[in-house]
Amino acid sequence: MKRRLASSAVALVGALLLVSLFLRLVPGDPVDVMLGEQATEVDRAALRRAVGLDLPWYEELGVFTRQLVTGELRTSLPPFQRKVLPAIGAALPYTLALTVASMLVALALALPLGVAAAARRGTVVDAAAMSASVAGVALPRFWLGPMLIIVFSLKLDWLPVSGAESWRHGVLPSLTLGLALAAFLARMTRASMLESLREDYVTVARAKGLSPRAVLWKHAFRNALLPLLTVLGLEFGTLLGGAIVTEKVFSWPGMGTLLLTAIEKRDYNTVRATVLVFTFCYVVVNTLTDAAYALADPRVRRRS
Amino acid sequence: MKPPAAPGVLRRLRWLWTIGVSSILGLLGVSGVLGLTGCKAEPPADGITVLLEAPPDSLDDRFALTANGQRLAALITPGLLAFDDTSQPVPVLAESFRDVSPTVMEFTLRPGLTFHDGTALTAEDVKATYDGMRDARVRSPRVERYAALERVEVVDARTVRFHLKHPYAPLVAELSAGILPAERAGPEGVTAQGEHPVGAGPFRFESQPDEEHLTLVPFPGWYAGAPALPRLRFRVVRDETTRVLELLKGRADLAVNVLSPAVLPVLRREPHLRVLSRPGTGFTYVGLNLREGPLADARVRKALCHLVDVKPVVEHKLHGLARPAGGMLPRAHWAWIPLPECQYAPDEAARLLDAAGYPDPDGPGGEPRLTLSLKTSTDRLRRSVGLVLKEQFSRGGVRVEVRSLEFGTFFEDVRRGRFEMFTLKFASVMEPDLLRGAFHSANVPGPENHWGGFNRGALRDTVLDALLEEAARLPREERRRRYGEAQAWLSELTPVLPLWHEDSVAVVSTRLEGFEPSAHGLLTPLARARLAPESAP
Repeated sequence: MKRRLASSAVALVGALLLVSLFLRLVPGDPVDVMLGEQATEVDRAALRRAVGLDLPWYEELGVFTRQLVTGELRTSLPPFQRKVLPAIGAALPYTLALTVASMLVALALALPLGVAAAARRGTVVDAAAMSASVAGVALPRFWLGPMLIIVFSLKLDWLPVSGAESWRHGVLPSLTLGLALAAFLARMTRASMLESLREDYVTVARAKGLSPRAVLWKHAFRNALLPLLTVLGLEFGTLLGGAIVTEKVFSWPGMGTLLLTAIEKRDYNTVRATVLVFTFCYVVVNTLTDAAYALADPRVRRRS
Repeated sequence: MKPPAAPGVLRRLRWLWTIGVSSILGLLGVSGVLGLTGCKAEPPADGITVLLEAPPDSLDDRFALTANGQRLAALITPGLLAFDDTSQPVPVLAESFRDVSPTVMEFTLRPGLTFHDGTALTAEDVKATYDGMRDARVRSPRVERYAALERVEVVDARTVRFHLKHPYAPLVAELSAGILPAERAGPEGVTAQGEHPVGAGPFRFESQPDEEHLTLVPFPGWYAGAPALPRLRFRVVRDETTRVLELLKGRADLAVNVLSPAVLPVLRREPHLRVLSRPGTGFTYVGLNLREGPLADARVRKALCHLVDVKPVVEHKLHGLARPAGGMLPRAHWAWIPLPECQYAPDEAARLLDAAGYPDPDGPGGEPRLTLSLKTSTDRLRRSVGLVLKEQFSRGGVRVEVRSLEFGTFFEDVRRGRFEMFTLKFASVMEPDLLRGAFHSANVPGPENHWGGFNRGALRDTVLDALLEEAARLPREERRRRYGEAQAWLSELTPVLPLWHEDSVAVVSTRLEGFEPSAHGLLTPLARARLAPESAP
């Protein structure tokens, strides 16, 4: 566990270095790019100061980190330099809610589907589940989102089109984000279950005279969960990335929208902070995944 | 290995049942999580909802550089004057204005003007606004546009005079800046105005809970009487498909110039929506590099012009929502003159190319007379227009390679002169002095103007330079003749291939009545609009 935490810390510092310095790595004067044609010399100097381009890179990194940690970090562009953290604080819950909800959608669909397909391998159930999942993996979100809106909002009139005024606004984005993951997870579940069903302990359990259902869920499924957890942790990153597209389609005021606005406005500090928060979430979730391993598998618990 | 379960219809059904129950539980889980984090009551549907494609950069006119920022600022903080569809100045807060001398303009304010906070708007506020704008500590990006303004003089409470350093008629274009209360016009008022803008406009700022939402309410003290709409809700919806769906659903009442021509036929079919259009002022053109190569020869440029057939492009790519352009100024513009439009004339083009030394090596088809490159951005419409042009040029024996580049790279290449041809658009052509920006030799991009000049094709013509300089010095009435001469001469020089002026398009729900779209895509017509009787609360 200590090793795990140390490597997480390294990942975070690496990300900090990258997002802070990529502006210096790209060719051309970033201030020109950020301010465009009509900028005055006063503005350029102010911006240079605001994003720390007047300092050597190591000092700038220190200033940026200190401002971020103390919450003093402000948006880059004059004249209104608002604090960045409150904006992130407002957006993060929306993105987390969306991610968690779509994760739940994905699990609720993928686990039964995958287990069913594995238990009844080669049957119609298997074929149907796997065809559905191929389709699910192939559908792009910017297409699926509007399609769901057309069906559930325009035709059936059950749900609103976009926005985030109530929980009902969250259903379609969660489905959009969750369905693709569900499709992928269902395939993983099936593969993992098939492997697990071939193991000796399943034969032993069955020989003991346990009911087929007990064998399936208590013995095979529990063991099949382990590889799934790893995938789930990794897929969390995909969900965060997918959230940017999905949030745009549904006007969901989360981190993706914040990042897009910041990029449009060339608000460099917000972009940096947002990317860092994304990285942080990813690292935390992967560390948690490792911890969950211990819960799911007594052998891992004993080793550590 | 055998499946662990006994076969049977019932067992199959049980699997399906499990899947069904789990999905429902999953959805309930979703609802639970979202209910805990994002639950706000749905807004009551009073007033109308306006869709924007991006948030305004600022509601303070001194800092707003985007169209959205400027259009919203005009609702809250209008200026002394505004511009009508012919781009002529019309008085707003001013009752009238006149030229006292070539360097002095006098404005008379309407009687009894008040700001949203109830204080009176006087000539002192006008002076303070323009002094503040030019105060380096305010750091307005517009400060350089007032270089010709020497000082603002308060004559009496309702009269204010602008003294110019030298005769400079285009300054009138900058006198539409939003008038602020004097105490907010200086550097110490910037924050207050940014957080809760106050002006004397038809609508008063109510709230802006986040970047995506803005609510305005009618101001009873508006000089023309309180607007009839009870409330304006602006909502940012970035995705074009989603904007269409919101309109189809009936959850939005107005979208101005935020939908592409391709999606409009769907909206036209809806009984609860109307698509209103009117000739606009955005100018799309093909830029040509005059620095070197075949395009340095005016005959080649004119030949290209004769090879372009704009009408089918407008009809099919833009669904008829544009007007073929003869030059930079749109037809309705006060300074527009009828020009011998560069007609589609392949024979004339062939004659010009022969004369310029590019004969057809092997008759129609086969080897080209000459090869050029055309750069576009990756925007779908721009690219497909590029491909149509390529086809049209190829019929006249001119081979064109179309290259689509990511916008940043594309624009950098255009500014630095690394192109033979490119397509771009001037978002809005109002003040004819823009001709000087686009074609005067002093505005060729270079280090001295931070590569910001608009004369990207590097036209250098002393006759034109003199005409445009003189037109900027003349009194307003005499400018028209000079700009007429300049346009005719430009048409002769053909530094760009004019394509079209895009229409200004508003999609309006039947709940909203009396909204007249403006050529500039302004939102100010909302002050005269009202709710349809059956939908009023």
